[in-house]
Amino acid sequence: MVKKRVPEWLNSSLWSSTPSPSVDDDRVQRYTSKPTTTTTSTSEPPSVVEPPLPVPPPSASVREEPPPEPQSTDSLSDHDDKGTATPSPEDFSRQSQLLAELSKKVVNVRELRKIAWQGISDSAGIRSTVWKLLLAYLPPDRALWPSELAKKRSQYKHFKDELLMNPSVGSHRKLEDNGTSCDSDESKCQSKGLLSRSQIAHGEHPLSLGKSSIWNQFFQDTEIIEQIDRDVKRTHPDMHFFSGDSQFAKSNQDALKNILVVFAKLNPGIRYVQGMNELLAPLYYVFKNDPNEEYAAAAEADTFFCFVELLSGFRDHFCQQLDNSVVGIRSTITRLSQLLKEHDEELWRHLEITTKVNPQFYAFRWITLLLTQEFNFADSLHIWDTLLSDPEGPQETLLRVCCAMLILVRRRLLAGDFTSNLKLLQNYPPTNISHLLYVANKLRIQSSG
Amino acid sequence: MVLVLALGDLHIPHRAPDLPAKFKSMLVPGKIQHIICTGNLCIKEVHDYLKTLCPDLHIARGEYDEETRYPETKTLTIGQFKLGLCHGHQVIPWGDLDSLAMLQRQLDVDILVTGHTHQFTAYKHEGGVVINPGSASGAYSSITYDVNPSFVLMDIDGLRVVVYVYELIDGEVKVDKIDFKKTTAATHSAH
Repeated sequence: MVKKRVPEWLNSSLWSSTPSPSVDDDRVQRYTSKPTTTTTSTSEPPSVVEPPLPVPPPSASVREEPPPEPQSTDSLSDHDDKGTATPSPEDFSRQSQLLAELSKKVVNVRELRKIAWQGISDSAGIRSTVWKLLLAYLPPDRALWPSELAKKRSQYKHFKDELLMNPSVGSHRKLEDNGTSCDSDESKCQSKGLLSRSQIAHGEHPLSLGKSSIWNQFFQDTEIIEQIDRDVKRTHPDMHFFSGDSQFAKSNQDALKNILVVFAKLNPGIRYVQGMNELLAPLYYVFKNDPNEEYAAAAEADTFFCFVELLSGFRDHFCQQLDNSVVGIRSTITRLSQLLKEHDEELWRHLEITTKVNPQFYAFRWITLLLTQEFNFADSLHIWDTLLSDPEGPQETLLRVCCAMLILVRRRLLAGDFTSNLKLLQNYPPTNISHLLYVANKLRIQSSG
Repeated sequence: MVLVLALGDLHIPHRAPDLPAKFKSMLVPGKIQHIICTGNLCIKEVHDYLKTLCPDLHIARGEYDEETRYPETKTLTIGQFKLGLCHGHQVIPWGDLDSLAMLQRQLDVDILVTGHTHQFTAYKHEGGVVINPGSASGAYSSITYDVNPSFVLMDIDGLRVVVYVYELIDGEVKVDKIDFKKTTAATHSAH
């Protein structure tokens, strides 16, 4: 039995996960990576195809010669620094391309995906709009935006009014609608007497145990609302945006809570599962920090619909009954395992067979929470740029990124045993994200080749 | 939205063995925030049972209660309303509106809850509202044997109270409601 050789490029020192904070190193690496792969690829069997880099470094400088008008560097995300103080010329060029694309009358979403794929810089505050386009919340035709937005926002408001109302207010409203307001009676008959009793609609009293009673539903929902409340309070405790005593943080928490409660009520099949709050947080953060004030004010409504859209691809991961089915989380984890086996059999064998690190132990959180818990907030936003813009779809891309994460630390994994490997994977070391995404992209070319 | 349960005159175990099963099935813990009890439970076990429904329990002493340390009258504030509690055997004539109104003025409350007559009534007069939740177990009273089990649940929401009346008539639970709004500024007292 011939042991499948690990391709040389995998063993090159580039793939070790030393964090490189400065952009210059990153650029240098990217420039140098090209020549090394060319030298090694010639000695390799033709299975390693020279990967066409999405934006080959030399041509980037050709495309946009003069840097665009200087963007104000006081970025909105003042709390999370990307580690890059000055955007590189490539960032500028991407930014200007994005701005150009966004200002067209009809946005070409495919083009947008290609540009956004490399990451959207924070300084221009366009991430919010780009994500809305990628999640198909905004239609490509710019002219339709105001009407679409107005429609969606009023729909959300309608949901809120209907679903978040508490039953005693609801019954009061019905009373007023019926016009039998006792108020007029009260003011008229000052004198004493028996209070008039009135009939109530079928079963609409607080102790009702009937399934259709709004009171009963209210008490049943209380449990879920309490759980949502607990989770929202625990979201990103280190960020001022989400936690703390400020009025701002509280209003953000309320918005998150409202969105999750409305979602839970509209989707009785899946309700609320712990973890949804983590998926919601980046969306809301990005939309709330939109420089356009009108959009920032309506962030809650926009986030709701984009959250629904995002979750639609991953719903099955949250449904316990589907765990063992073809679409459930276990099957996705198996797919990750297969992907790893395909690309790096040695590592796969070492992880799963020799050290018996069951992928469920680490990949569960990676996959269900879309890597929000593995990296710091700014990095996970960058990863989400790629996840959302990749034409293959977020699920496939996610698996490739996870696979890349494993490959990047292969040295340490191969040298480690069960405990150290598990520890490493559950506390993934900080990495250069662009590097990680580059590797992930390479995996795509590989498997298709 | 505060739910307050008002009940009393159970006379367990002397005149009735227990609350009706249909009432007991509805009274589950977790929904009610306060319980006001007019008295005549009579034994400690009933007190413990009510305590499991809701930890905030207020009881006034009825003439047959075995626990002697309950107060004769009690007042508490829930939301915007002041509630008064008294068993009612002290107020003569029993169940008379004018005398109860006197007690209400004395206690200075918006809603006075009394019992003893084992009949549900809800009166309104200038000072406020007087509610008698009746007997929750249907025990016979000094006046009559013909008693329907009944109790009252109040939903206090701001300046508005919705009083839900639960009665067991011919084996079926009938629920009615009464709406009452507190007039904000107008205090009809003669000070």
